[in-house]
Amino acid sequence: MYRRWLWPGFALPGVIWLIVLFLVPFYTVLAVALGTVDPILFQAVPIWNPLEWNVGWLNEVVHRLGPGGNLTDVALRTLEYVAIAVGLSLLIGYPVAYYIARLAGRTKALLLILVIAPLWINYLMRMLAWVNLLAPDGYVNRFLTYTHILSEPRDWLGGRPSTVILALVYGYIPFFILPLFAALDRIDQSHLEAARDLGASRFRTFLHVTLPLSKLGILGGAVLIALPMFGDYYTPNIVSGAAQTTMIGNQIDFYFHGGPQPTIGAAITIVLAAFLTLLMGYYLWTIHRSTGQERTT
Amino acid sequence: MSSVAGTPVAPRPSAWSRFRGWLSNPWGRPRFLPLVTWGYVVWSIVPVLIAVQFSFNATRSRTAWQGFSTRWYWGDPVDSVWHDPTLRNALVQSLKLAVADVVIATPIGVLLAIGLARWHGRGSGSSNFLMLFPLVTPEIVMGVALLLVFTEVFTFVGTGTTAQILGHVTFSISFVVVIVRGRLFSIGRQYEEAAADLGASPTVALARVLLPLLMPAIVASAAVVFAISLDDFVISQWLSKGGETDTVPVKIYSATRAAPLPSTNAIATIMMLLTLASVTLGFLVWRAFTRGERRAGQSVVKDMGALEI
Amino acid sequence: MARGEIRLIGLTKRFAEVTAVDHIDLDVAPGKFFSLLGPSGCGKTTTLRMIAGFEQPSEGRILLDGTDVAYTPAHKRNVNTVFQNYALFPHLDVFDNVAFGLRRAKRPKSEVRQRALQALELVQLGGLEKRKPSQLSGGQQQRVALARALVLNPSVLLLDEPLGALDAKLRKTLQIELKTLQREVGITFIYVTHDQEEALTMSDRLAVMNGGKVEQIGAPQGVYEDPETLFVADFLGVSNLMDATAQGARDGRCRVRADTFELTAGSGAIDVTGPAKIVIRPERIELESREAASGPNRLPGMVERLVYVGSAVQVIVRVATGEALQVLVPNTGKALPYEQGTPVQVHLPVEALRVLAVDEAGEPGPAEEAALAEASGRD
Repeated sequence: MYRRWLWPGFALPGVIWLIVLFLVPFYTVLAVALGTVDPILFQAVPIWNPLEWNVGWLNEVVHRLGPGGNLTDVALRTLEYVAIAVGLSLLIGYPVAYYIARLAGRTKALLLILVIAPLWINYLMRMLAWVNLLAPDGYVNRFLTYTHILSEPRDWLGGRPSTVILALVYGYIPFFILPLFAALDRIDQSHLEAARDLGASRFRTFLHVTLPLSKLGILGGAVLIALPMFGDYYTPNIVSGAAQTTMIGNQIDFYFHGGPQPTIGAAITIVLAAFLTLLMGYYLWTIHRSTGQERTT
Repeated sequence: MSSVAGTPVAPRPSAWSRFRGWLSNPWGRPRFLPLVTWGYVVWSIVPVLIAVQFSFNATRSRTAWQGFSTRWYWGDPVDSVWHDPTLRNALVQSLKLAVADVVIATPIGVLLAIGLARWHGRGSGSSNFLMLFPLVTPEIVMGVALLLVFTEVFTFVGTGTTAQILGHVTFSISFVVVIVRGRLFSIGRQYEEAAADLGASPTVALARVLLPLLMPAIVASAAVVFAISLDDFVISQWLSKGGETDTVPVKIYSATRAAPLPSTNAIATIMMLLTLASVTLGFLVWRAFTRGERRAGQSVVKDMGALEI
Repeated sequence: MARGEIRLIGLTKRFAEVTAVDHIDLDVAPGKFFSLLGPSGCGKTTTLRMIAGFEQPSEGRILLDGTDVAYTPAHKRNVNTVFQNYALFPHLDVFDNVAFGLRRAKRPKSEVRQRALQALELVQLGGLEKRKPSQLSGGQQQRVALARALVLNPSVLLLDEPLGALDAKLRKTLQIELKTLQREVGITFIYVTHDQEEALTMSDRLAVMNGGKVEQIGAPQGVYEDPETLFVADFLGVSNLMDATAQGARDGRCRVRADTFELTAGSGAIDVTGPAKIVIRPERIELESREAASGPNRLPGMVERLVYVGSAVQVIVRVATGEALQVLVPNTGKALPYEQGTPVQVHLPVEALRVLAVDEAGEPGPAEEAALAEASGRD
């Protein structure tokens, strides 16, 4: 196996593709965000030389996102929605993942298939399903009025934050359950038996053994759904047409398709990407630290 | 139903009281966990099933069931999927992109996987990192990036089908690499070494030994690429030129926001069946190919779940 | 003209900071059954892999019939390997596996068929051509691997612990078969194993390796009877190592003092003085009754325990120097005249008692231990 150029040669088409159609596009976003706008045609003028980059628009966007800007609400709202949605996903998802991983016995395979299937069902179809159900004459309203929980049908799709958050949970929770399941499934039964053997009750075993061991799985699942959720624009658009529930993704969408002002759109994208990189970095650092700790113990 | 000795036997309790008994058993395992789990499964799947059901509704209501009909699939001469040109075109476009995606991304991805697994020199680490990046990039960021690159840099491409195909392939390659790489690791180097030992040059060893053994992973990754291409929304929308370049998810999106008809449900159901069929096929092929090699039952889905992390 | 002669000259392999194979020199005569014997991590498998061509040496030369093949790719060397886990191609049936090499060499179809079937007959697997490897037992898979390698008439056949995965009885049977096969076919066999009994029974010559170096090379009898280093003495069979102080040679023998006893060692490093070790094989020690006449090289002792191993009895005797010696007494069917607790006299015959210098490479030092542990992952 001495041919030194054989294996890099194999990798070459893929690497070239990713450079041309992944790295170059990212650089283009930077070039546009840090570029200028043609005053006559209102078109973005990208600047390719880093030394000539114009931070004007980026600054503008950062100001708008900061306190007092007109994008502040959206930014805060996005944070709020994502935080609540991830929290709810954890609340619902953890027991489900735990049950399937550790207690399901004979139904484990079946439950696994049922939990994985939504991952492959089109996201928009799942949202469509809820739009049908939440329509003024849909099953949800009919059920609630029939059981007299509500006196009259409620407008679920008219711009309610709770609808958007619940839709986000519905849409993303399968992506949370799966890695969490994998982490919980991997926990060696003998650890738990050792704890029980040493006198810990079922609950305390969970608290002091299972939970800490699944922490990385929780973090991984949370990051896995938070990252795309921050960029989500279609969910608010589908289950709520209103301006008061828009997320940061909607702003990017607007500046590209509504305006269009691609320079601002690109700038917001850069800020979002930077924020998400920090999030990802935090996750990787936590993993690195914990595996380091494992080695020393 | 009395026993042999003649002592009377109590009547079997009804299903409902048995369920309540199970629920309140103080010595039983925690009851709320299976309840929550099955409750979640129902909450997760039933809405979709209802949507599928309404695609067969006899009237144009999506909320009131009025009888079974296939009009939204092919019956209705104006609005059915078969007859409505926008829906039909969307279906064709989705399939076009998916097939092109598989045909382009799978070979590139397989080569990349083999190259990365065997290459240990300079640049291999960064290439590996580059390959992982698309997996963690949010779709809107990729959509923005690709749109800008096709309108500002590669303007000869512009938006439209070509751009959509290029975009799809870009995010699909990493999926192929991850799946094929897993298989490569479990195969190990022994077969290639044995082949070389018996006189096969590296390219022959690759063709006659490695590739046949990689087949299950290649087929599985093709099935996965097909499925994720069909399901893709953000990239397809951002790189669409409108009209005939809209894919099914894009049409579902616009219809859902405007005035959905049961035909929307119908086309969504078709897509769902195509995607699920593709994934199931890939899974079954994998299991069939690796039948002789399996020890304890490790399901592929668990492996794929582990890949997410 | 020599066919199948291997010479290793200064062969070295380094992985990062670990030296797995350290400048070894080895000559393997053509047509011989040669074993590389040693514990995990000693470098034997790495050496074999370098001869096969799967690893590139850091330094040194590999001469196959006079030509240096160290930098020739594996697929161009006329050397074939039987792998530890057989590495039979799972997607091909038995026939295609065996025919693989012949087809790579572009032999005509009829020749391929004839030679492949012949090879399968040679290993007694005729009739199983259509089976897939997963449908074969371990022993059968091993034979297919053998047939696949032999069918190409290599100059040298390399075997990497091929019997490791088999149960004891099957191992014994196959050991005899392999030895017979080698004599029949006349090809040089280089056999890697950690099982010293295997190496002793099968080899014409063997090399004992430790920590990347060759400790001793020779015929099995020579290596076993006359170990040159502590490691070799201890690795092959039981050595009954005892501490002693050597007091120099006299009349071609070495006088040693063990504890308070004066003994004479008839072989080994006769001229050594100072701290030393004496070794004696368990089957050479003679146990005499306490009342028997005393004489040179006799130590008082007490039987600590008896271990019955079927064909013999291991008698563990605690001698007056404080050490415990293992004595092997063949099972003649008659009752032994001692039991646990019996005081005995231990006779260490002069010709059987061997003295070894203590500063020879034997005990691994701390740096070598670490290197062994690292390299054992590769062995």
